[in-house]
Amino acid sequence: MLKGHLDMIVLAALSAAGPAHGYAVIEEIKRRSGGAFDLPEGTIYPALHRLEQAGLLRSSWMTADSGRRRRVYTLTRTGNRALVERRAVWKQFSDAIGDLLGGTRPRENPA
Amino acid sequence: MIPDYLERLERELSFDRPLSRCVRQEVEDHLWEAVAADSTGNTLQAQRRAIANFGDARAIAAQFAMVSLARHSRRAGVAAVLIIAGVFIAMKARLAWYAAAQWVISEDMRAIGGLVGRIDRYAFWLSVIIGLGGWIYIRSRQIPAAFCPVYRSQLRRFFLLCSATAAALVVSVISDGVLTALLLHGTEMSAEFMIPIVSMTIEIGCVGIFVLQIRRVTQRAASTAALQKI
Repeated sequence: MLKGHLDMIVLAALSAAGPAHGYAVIEEIKRRSGGAFDLPEGTIYPALHRLEQAGLLRSSWMTADSGRRRRVYTLTRTGNRALVERRAVWKQFSDAIGDLLGGTRPRENPA
Repeated sequence: MIPDYLERLERELSFDRPLSRCVRQEVEDHLWEAVAADSTGNTLQAQRRAIANFGDARAIAAQFAMVSLARHSRRAGVAAVLIIAGVFIAMKARLAWYAAAQWVISEDMRAIGGLVGRIDRYAFWLSVIIGLGGWIYIRSRQIPAAFCPVYRSQLRRFFLLCSATAAALVVSVISDGVLTALLLHGTEMSAEFMIPIVSMTIEIGCVGIFVLQIRRVTQRAASTAALQKI
């Protein structure tokens, strides 16, 4: 289930943290989810590369304080738009599930 | 311990050298940062934990292979468009040269020349339509996290479009070769021959590069599929 939403999670973490490298993205996900998402850390990197290829992120190399080369990712404008859309879809979905499980009255269809 | 893990990851990604080098640097930074953040103070234990948290090298490589395959497929789509443009420019340059030098096909060969010219035209425009279609198709596909059946069939469709483009281009280039031979037939060898010969070489080279691109994508698809079988 988590895998299906990995892209959205990564985009949201980058949106919250600002430009960040892979390790910082993982830490941000852990922090914001209260440690609830326990996925292999390595899976974040292919997701970052995939999102960059899709034009949702861009990256640049810099030298960290440790002297090691570090790749820093930033959300692009397209990435920001994609996150807004995914958030809206997720909210609609979670509201529907919440209503279903909570047994509340069905909301009226705006259409 | 971390260097061994990085070696393994790099080996698994050896089908894409630039990617493997880039991933190695990124993962190295991640693992050493995780070791530095470990509060136990035992470096060996910390390295072991960092690697375990990162995940199996082959599984990670399989996910990167998918990203690499998608990138190369998209690149092949762009290559199709550029190569068609290259063939078009070489063709037009040759025709302009024929017009400037006032070279025409001899009267007895004109009927064959007309037929070959029509085949050339249809084959070329067919390659333009299919090539553009292939590029738009692969560009509009989403890159999945895994080499799923849906993406496999999308890639198969793209491969068919690329093969059809290459086949149409081959027909067009062969027709160009025949037309060039008809024009040069009976003409005395001179330095002016260089222009049509060079432009034909460019066309043949363009088609060769495109065929190699298609082959590279199929090879990458095979290695990605192999990596998925963990």
